[in-house]
Amino acid sequence: MTDVATPTAERPTADEPEWKPGRGPIDWMGGWRVLWFGSLAFLALAAAIRIFQQFTAWTVGIDASSRDFGLYYRSLFIAEVIGVTAGTLIWWGYLVRKGRTVVAKESSHPEEVRRIAVFWGLIGITCVILYIMASFWPNQDGSWHQTAVRDTALTPSHIPMFFLFFPLGITLTVGTYLYGRYWLPKVYGAEKGFPWSFFFLIAASVTEMAQVAMNEWGHSLWITEEIFAVPFHWPFVFYGWLASGIFALWAETIIRLLQIEGEIEAEAGQPAEEVA
Amino acid sequence: MAVDSKTLELRALLNKQYRWIDRKWDLVFWVTAAFVVGAAADITKQLFAGDWDFWTDWKDRQWWPIITPFAIIIIGSALQYIQWLAWRFPTGMTYTAVAMFLCTLIGRWLQWGAFVYYPMNFVWPATMVAAAIFADWVLLKTKSFVLTSIIGSILFAVTWWISNYIPLAPYLQPAQWMDRVVTVADIQGIEYVRSQTPEYLRIIEHGSLRTFLGETQYVSLVFGATVAIAGYWVGQFIARALAIWPIGRFMKKW
Repeated sequence: MTDVATPTAERPTADEPEWKPGRGPIDWMGGWRVLWFGSLAFLALAAAIRIFQQFTAWTVGIDASSRDFGLYYRSLFIAEVIGVTAGTLIWWGYLVRKGRTVVAKESSHPEEVRRIAVFWGLIGITCVILYIMASFWPNQDGSWHQTAVRDTALTPSHIPMFFLFFPLGITLTVGTYLYGRYWLPKVYGAEKGFPWSFFFLIAASVTEMAQVAMNEWGHSLWITEEIFAVPFHWPFVFYGWLASGIFALWAETIIRLLQIEGEIEAEAGQPAEEVA
Repeated sequence: MAVDSKTLELRALLNKQYRWIDRKWDLVFWVTAAFVVGAAADITKQLFAGDWDFWTDWKDRQWWPIITPFAIIIIGSALQYIQWLAWRFPTGMTYTAVAMFLCTLIGRWLQWGAFVYYPMNFVWPATMVAAAIFADWVLLKTKSFVLTSIIGSILFAVTWWISNYIPLAPYLQPAQWMDRVVTVADIQGIEYVRSQTPEYLRIIEHGSLRTFLGETQYVSLVFGATVAIAGYWVGQFIARALAIWPIGRFMKKW
């Protein structure tokens, strides 16, 4: 593959808007914009909570019966649950409602390429979410629980990990599927059935969330509280492996991208220039 | 020198001019995948072998050389399969090692150091970068996953231990503490209170390790190498069944 400049030929059809300079289907601030803004937004959210913890975790976060814990941490928990639930339902609702109109229209090649870039952006955001839920917070969970005695399931480390970023994993994986189903019908259209790649990825996010219940039950047993590599933590790993399905998503969409290149060549009536 | 037709064909494919496919797709893939790969490797290590990686005094001679190579080779093996299958790149294990090290280092620095205030020389993470390079090298030379699983995994476990023994060695120096000869790592474990971990020496280095002429660490190392072979095939299963198999199913409906 060689680097090519932003395409100038094959502009969108008259009923679709022409993109501004630098906002084309494969420009960083065009099709890839979702990747940048989405990833940075969730990293910023994790950083903000981490800064909040720096000033509150060891002062008001260690006694769940205190008034200040309720004020600072239980309220954060409630805000997270309400926020992530509302945000998820609004986004999924938008994807389904808007998607039903989008899927009915034929899209041009540049528009489909842009959608694939957006799709990859959503996959990228999912990767960032998975990093935050599987590495960033678990490190804190380990440091907190091997150090402080737990008096509630809603510890300062659990609140952002289990009740914000774990649900966000479900939000992103299901949302990415809905985007693929409606915006990329030639890849993930309903008539093609439910792909195994998404089955594994969504299963990973859902089972991780479900495993939280077993985790909290396990921690109610005294001896298991002591070891971080305790067997009842292992299902988090097994379920996490299911997220390997994400690699298939990249492959499945690159196949369509290559197919688009082939269609462009066919329309032009000659193969693309080859440099031997 | 004559160039065969296959080489010409591959060169033409490599230099083909695409309309919409540029290097950004490669860049986005390699960078974003590093997040999920690093996280998967880190969580596998943390929850399978975390306690033996969190603290200097837990980096012992009985369990550390066994369970850690098993835990960390899994995702590396999976990426080795994926990258070899997709691009014939013998880089998957090293890619995983670097991604995991960055994830782990950020975690240790922000969550163990800056949050709970343990010194980094007590909670530094083990690295698998050197070991991964050797495992990838074995795949490059043998072009065989079976041989890599045997030779590469053994080399991986041994190299992993040697490369991590270097940063660990200063903490194994003898020191006197309350009229007892202990290691510097032991003193760290006693001084930096971990109120939720087992009592000191209840789990770490129990048995006859300290009276066994120091040979047990080599026994553990060899056992660790054999266990790493099993871990390698767990990773192969993940790659083949969960990452690649769905693509084949997808293609059937294409």
